[in-house]
Amino acid sequence: MARHVINSEITGTVFKIETAVGAAVSSGDVLIVLESMKMEIPVEAPAAGKVVEILVAEGEAIAEGQALATVEG
Amino acid sequence: MSWQPEADEIAQRRAWAQEMGGAEAIKRHHERNRLTVRERIAALCDGESFREVGGLSGAAKYDADGKVQHVVPAPYVMGLAQIDGRPVAIGGEDFTVRGGTSWGGARRKGGQGGFVEDLAHQFRIPLVNLIDGAGGTVTSMRRRGYSVFPGVDGFERSVELLGEVPVVAAVMGTAAGGPAGRAILSHFSVMVRGSSQIFAAGPPVVKRSLGQEIDKEDLGGAGVTVDIAGTIHNAAANEQEAFEQIRRFLSYMPANVWQLPPKQECSDPADRQDEGLLSIVPRKRTQAYNMRKLIDMVVDKDSVFEIQPSYGKSVITSLARLDGHVVGIIANNPMHLGGAMDVKSARKQIHFMELCDTFHVPLVFLVDVPGFMVGLEAEKAATLREGMRAVYVAGQLTVPTITLVIRKCYGMAGMATCNKNGFDLKLAWPSGEWGSLPVEGGVAAAFRRDIEAAPDPKQREQELEAELRQLASPFRTAEAFAVEDVIDPRETRPVLIDFIRLCRDRLDTTLGPKPRYGVGP
Repeated sequence: MARHVINSEITGTVFKIETAVGAAVSSGDVLIVLESMKMEIPVEAPAAGKVVEILVAEGEAIAEGQALATVEG
Repeated sequence: MSWQPEADEIAQRRAWAQEMGGAEAIKRHHERNRLTVRERIAALCDGESFREVGGLSGAAKYDADGKVQHVVPAPYVMGLAQIDGRPVAIGGEDFTVRGGTSWGGARRKGGQGGFVEDLAHQFRIPLVNLIDGAGGTVTSMRRRGYSVFPGVDGFERSVELLGEVPVVAAVMGTAAGGPAGRAILSHFSVMVRGSSQIFAAGPPVVKRSLGQEIDKEDLGGAGVTVDIAGTIHNAAANEQEAFEQIRRFLSYMPANVWQLPPKQECSDPADRQDEGLLSIVPRKRTQAYNMRKLIDMVVDKDSVFEIQPSYGKSVITSLARLDGHVVGIIANNPMHLGGAMDVKSARKQIHFMELCDTFHVPLVFLVDVPGFMVGLEAEKAATLREGMRAVYVAGQLTVPTITLVIRKCYGMAGMATCNKNGFDLKLAWPSGEWGSLPVEGGVAAAFRRDIEAAPDPKQREQELEAELRQLASPFRTAEAFAVEDVIDPRETRPVLIDFIRLCRDRLDTTLGPKPRYGVGP
C-alpha cells in the first residue's frame, strides 16, 4: 500500500472539493479544484486507491506545497 | 634490452593514479554517500570506453637516487569516453585529493578553463563536467608566492564551447568559486537533491561578510538553486539518476552545431490521433487543464525530457521527439499563474529557445498565455523587461518554428511564441483566442464613455463583450489568412510530424554556429 500525499503546486484558494474521505478513486480523477489567477485548477489523484484524508476546506487559502489530501492505494 | 622497466613504471604510476587520495579519503567520501570521480565516470560512460588523458600528472616524491617513490595524482580526472556509443570529453574534480581544489598544472589540467574543454573544442564533441570542488584556495598563493589574477587561465574556452558543442554540468558535491561558475556555463545542469550544493560563496564567507549563520544545504541545496533560483536546471534523487538525466539530455543533442540532432527509429505511428485531445481543453474558459498530458498525447510515446520542471512553472520546456525527430516543446501551463509569463518562466523560456536554436532543434510552441504577469511584485521583479527579452530572443531565432495556439495567445507574451525570421507556421485549435488583451479586460477601458452613457452600464458592457467575443472566433482570423490554419485537435500529431519532416532540408542547409548580435533588453 503506497501512501500518496497530494501537495498543492500553487498558491490560491480551495474552490471545490469533489471527493470525500473513503471514496475510491482512479488515477487522474479530479479530487479538488483550486482557484488561482481567475482560473479553476483541478487536482488529480496520482494513483488509484482510497481517499484517506482531506486536509483543506472549500474557501480556504492555501500555499504552494501545502498538503491537500492523502490517497492510499 | 627491452623497455620492460619503464613499462612496469607506467603500470605502477597508473596504479597510483587509481588510488586517488588514498583508501582513507575514499572511505570518507563514500560515507557521505558520494561516488569517487572515477566511479562516476565509469557509471556514466559505456563499458570500458574511458580513455584517460593526463593520468600520470600529480605531485611525485623521489628518493636520493632519483627513483620515484609515489605520486599523489592531480585532483582532476579527465579524458575521452563514449555515452550510448557517442564520443564525449569528460572530466571531474577528485574530491579525495585536497578536496578537488584547483591544481597549478602547466597545461591547465582541470580547474578553470581546463584541458578537457580543449578536447571538446578540438574534437567537436559534447563536454561533461562532473563538478565536485570549491576552486582556488589561498594555499596556492603561498606556494606560488603571488596571487593569480582572476581569469588568466580563464573562461574564454567555456564561453566559446556554448556556441559549439553540448556542455553538461553535473554538480556532484559542494561547488563554489571557479567550478561553480563553470557549472553555470553549460547548456544543461543537474545536481543531486540533498547531497550537492552550489553557491557563489559558502557558509564561512557568508558568515564573515553578512554575519548570517546558514548551513550549506539551506544556502545552496536544490531547494534553493533548482526550485527557487533556477541556478541549476534539474535536480536528481541520487547520483545514478543524475547520470540517467545526462544520458537522456545528450540523446537529443547533436555532437556539435555543425550536425543535426540524431533521428531515432519511432514505433509510435505518425498518424496516431488521440481522441482525448478533442476534449482536453474545457469549454469553460476559466477551467485549467493538464498541459503535460496534452503534450504526451501528441509527441512520440515516452519521448519527453523536461528541462527545469520545478522552476518557472507557468511554462513547460521539454525536449521530445516527433516521428523520431528531436523537437523542443515550449508550452504554457494554465495550472500556474494561469499560464502568465513571469520573470522565472521568461528566463526559462529564453534559455530553452537559445538551446534549441543553437543545436538546430525545431521549436513547437503550444500556446496558452494570457500575457505577462501583472501586479506590484511582478513589476518589482522586472517582468516587463525580462518578458521583452523573451520576445527579443524569439525574434532572433532562425530555427524552424511552429506556433499552435491551444487557447489564449495575448499581448507581448504571445509575441514571444512566434518567430518571424524563418518560416513560422501559426496554427490554432478551435479553442484558440488571441489579441492585444482578453476581451473582458479590455472592454471597460476601451468603451468607457459608451458604457457610462448607457441607461444600464452593466448590460451595455456585457453586450459589447458578447459582440467582440463573436469577432474573436479563430475562424474569422483564418478567413483573413492571419493564421495559416485551424485544425481539429486530434490532427495535431500528424500535422506537426508533416511539418517537422519538411524542416529537414532547411535544417540541413543552415548548419553551423549561430551569430548573435545586438543589445538585448
